[in-house]
Amino acid sequence: MEGRPRAERELVLRAQAGDARAYEELVHPHEEIAFRVAYLITRNAADAEDAAQDGLVKAWRALARFRAGEPLRPWLLKIVANEARNRRRSSGRRDQLVLRAAAASPGEAAPSPEEAAVGAGERGRLLAALEQLPGRAREILACRYLLDLSEEETAAALGVRLGTVKSRSARALEKLREAYGPRA
Amino acid sequence: MDLARELSALAAHVEWPATPELRLSLEGVPRRRSRRAVFAAVALAAVLAVGVAFAVPQSRAALLRFLHLGAVTIMVVDELPAAQERPLTAGLGPVISRADAEALVPDLLLPALAPEPPLHSLGGATVSLVFELDGKPVLLSEYGYGAGFIKKVVSGAGSVEFTSVDGATAAWIPGPHNLYLPGTAPRLAGNVLVWERGSVTYRLEGPTLSRSAALELARSLRHV
Repeated sequence: MEGRPRAERELVLRAQAGDARAYEELVHPHEEIAFRVAYLITRNAADAEDAAQDGLVKAWRALARFRAGEPLRPWLLKIVANEARNRRRSSGRRDQLVLRAAAASPGEAAPSPEEAAVGAGERGRLLAALEQLPGRAREILACRYLLDLSEEETAAALGVRLGTVKSRSARALEKLREAYGPRA
Repeated sequence: MDLARELSALAAHVEWPATPELRLSLEGVPRRRSRRAVFAAVALAAVLAVGVAFAVPQSRAALLRFLHLGAVTIMVVDELPAAQERPLTAGLGPVISRADAEALVPDLLLPALAPEPPLHSLGGATVSLVFELDGKPVLLSEYGYGAGFIKKVVSGAGSVEFTSVDGATAAWIPGPHNLYLPGTAPRLAGNVLVWERGSVTYRLEGPTLSRSAALELARSLRHV
């Protein structure tokens, strides 16, 4: 694992020197999370794909200004999320329910203790409650808990300050608690 | 189990759409210059601007020092060159949409006002808006990468006070000074707070704006 940051730094330096293949190798591990962040914002798979693609091309254009050695993922997510917000605004599309719970956890033989505690019915109800929250509250909880982004990454993706992530997360959890209601 | 942990447990069960294979067509995509290159260009522009400004007899004054804060270069001189007095709303450029403004300045900050004041751009990565604070006009300008060379000429060694906005270095310039924007004649500006956050330089100006009111306003600006 220790070699990973070094490898990333090397790829950044090569990409900054104009090596497009190095850039593609650099961003490939982040494409899924970039697409999902864009999907949370645009709430449409086609728009999310466009936003992720265009965002990563914009990041390539701006790569000379990225400081090698800094974490790349928050920087990429910030650019992709900004692209997603622009697309959401220009599409004028209204919010719709997009997050759904699978019937079973894929690829897992036995549920974790946490999963065991949350049955399939409760999962669907919790996700439905999350979907009913206002956009900002929903996005911050989805980034923090469904995508497992750090507070710093969430701040970058949503274009807010770190303190705002903390305070908004707490308020959003409170709203979710109200919407979710008592457990079955 | 608390709600945060339930959400974390839920993550494994969310049905995300399949991640598409992204096609990054990078061939021929123009790339921006590094900060170092931009800084060198700005420094060169500053030298040229000083050369031009001080070649004119009526604007000749002793240059005491240079200060750089984001996209803004502050030149302290012993005598203020002549400049026009124009209203804050003059020369802001055409009104643009919020989407266009955010494309120009990614970390756009706005005051929490309804209705939202019109957003203007002179072109380049510059967005400006004028709104009222306690019945007095205030100009907020935001400069992203590529905004061009913005110069402020102030008179007197003690005319720039350093402070901070949420941890970011800021400069408070009380009283009149000259503002030079690309492509416009110099304007006599009032009390100004300038600070830089990330890739954006922010500037608040109000003829009656106090330092404490400017700092309070700066801290209240939000991504909307």
